[in-house]
Amino acid sequence: MNLTTKEMIVTSLFAALTAIGALLTIPIGPVPVTLQVLFTLTAGALLGARLGLLSQILYLFIGAVGLPVYAGGGAGLAHLVGPTGGFLFSFPIAAYIVGRIVEEREDITLLGVLGPMVLGLILIYILGVVGLNIATDMGLKKAIAVGVLPFVIPDLIKALAGAYLTLRIKRIY
Amino acid sequence: MLNDIMLGQYLDRDSIVHSLDPRIKILLVILFIIVLFISKTLLGYAVLGGFIIISTLIAKIEFKYILKSLKPLLFIISLTLIIHLFLTKGGEVIWEWKFLSIEEKGLNLGLFMAARLIFLITFTSLLTLTTSPLELTDGLEKLLNPFKRFGVPAHELAMMMTIALRFIPTLLEESEKILKAQKARGADFESGNLIQKAKSLIPLLVPLFVSAFRRADDLALAMEARCYRGGEGRTRMNELHLSRADYLIGGATAIFLIFVAILI
Repeated sequence: MNLTTKEMIVTSLFAALTAIGALLTIPIGPVPVTLQVLFTLTAGALLGARLGLLSQILYLFIGAVGLPVYAGGGAGLAHLVGPTGGFLFSFPIAAYIVGRIVEEREDITLLGVLGPMVLGLILIYILGVVGLNIATDMGLKKAIAVGVLPFVIPDLIKALAGAYLTLRIKRIY
Repeated sequence: MLNDIMLGQYLDRDSIVHSLDPRIKILLVILFIIVLFISKTLLGYAVLGGFIIISTLIAKIEFKYILKSLKPLLFIISLTLIIHLFLTKGGEVIWEWKFLSIEEKGLNLGLFMAARLIFLITFTSLLTLTTSPLELTDGLEKLLNPFKRFGVPAHELAMMMTIALRFIPTLLEESEKILKAQKARGADFESGNLIQKAKSLIPLLVPLFVSAFRRADDLALAMEARCYRGGEGRTRMNELHLSRADYLIGGATAIFLIFVAILI
């Protein structure tokens, strides 16, 4: 893997941004919603598959070495191997998939970015539920009720914001 | 707040655990996790629990920090316990009330799963409590080095980690500045329905992303002007060295854990 200095730095700044996204909580609804998923999906769309993937792996590393950058101020390896691990590990893959699809399109439209982002969200949910189920053995139905249903609507809105953001930034850069 | 974030969970103490090489500590934690998932008996779990308590004492970490690390996952731990208590059936009935009942198998499995999660969290947080983020980054780079030939960019990953760690406070400060600037211009981040709130984020996020890209440009230029050319032949200010104590303590603990996995 050959990275230019510029690519390395952009990737690490996106990892830092994702970490900050998890720290910024927005009081929407009963569950405090972080912007972390928005940054994950946008990283894929803006940086492309390869760098998007790398930036999210870096984000996981930052949390693993003890900085409180997982959703809700969590930190440490425990989150990666614990019940929330499935969600966390799905972020790099989701960023990769979003990047892959967006890269292949020549002109970027709002729907052309939103579609892959929703796909990325679905992937996050699937891996997250599987991880939750492995760690706690609570059964798929309950895992979905706990880990997916409360977040669907805020996440869709975040995906929409992320898609719009991607268009705006791509126009500037 | 910024200081809290930058040091992560690290607590500076003068202990054997703190001075252990980060590579050894990372490998021991991985081994512990494997043993935890293999071990299935009550005695095995008791021994592992004792092992965590003794390690904490040797590391001179107060137990309140260990308990604090459990807090974010407390909800999911109790949920696991409750679901197993009431919904896993089998064995003798221990307690009954109207339609609710707790049966032996549910009680056993619930306590077992909860203990596994608690051990997992406390031991892994012991790693981040006793090792600073930069030490861990160095350790990870060294551990990933052998995988270079399979295409794992060990040096690049560590370099990017360091840059990311360095820029988290900067970007956080930047986002606070933008937030205040937009508020001064009358931006409303608090009221309105979901869609309106999401929309109000745009004037915060667009400048944040743009400034991140600009910083990346500047830093890339600065690094290249100083002839940065990757990890090949780079020398370090502080080299990691494995001492005899590292081998002894690491080896003894590893043998102990493997012993627990195989025999108990």
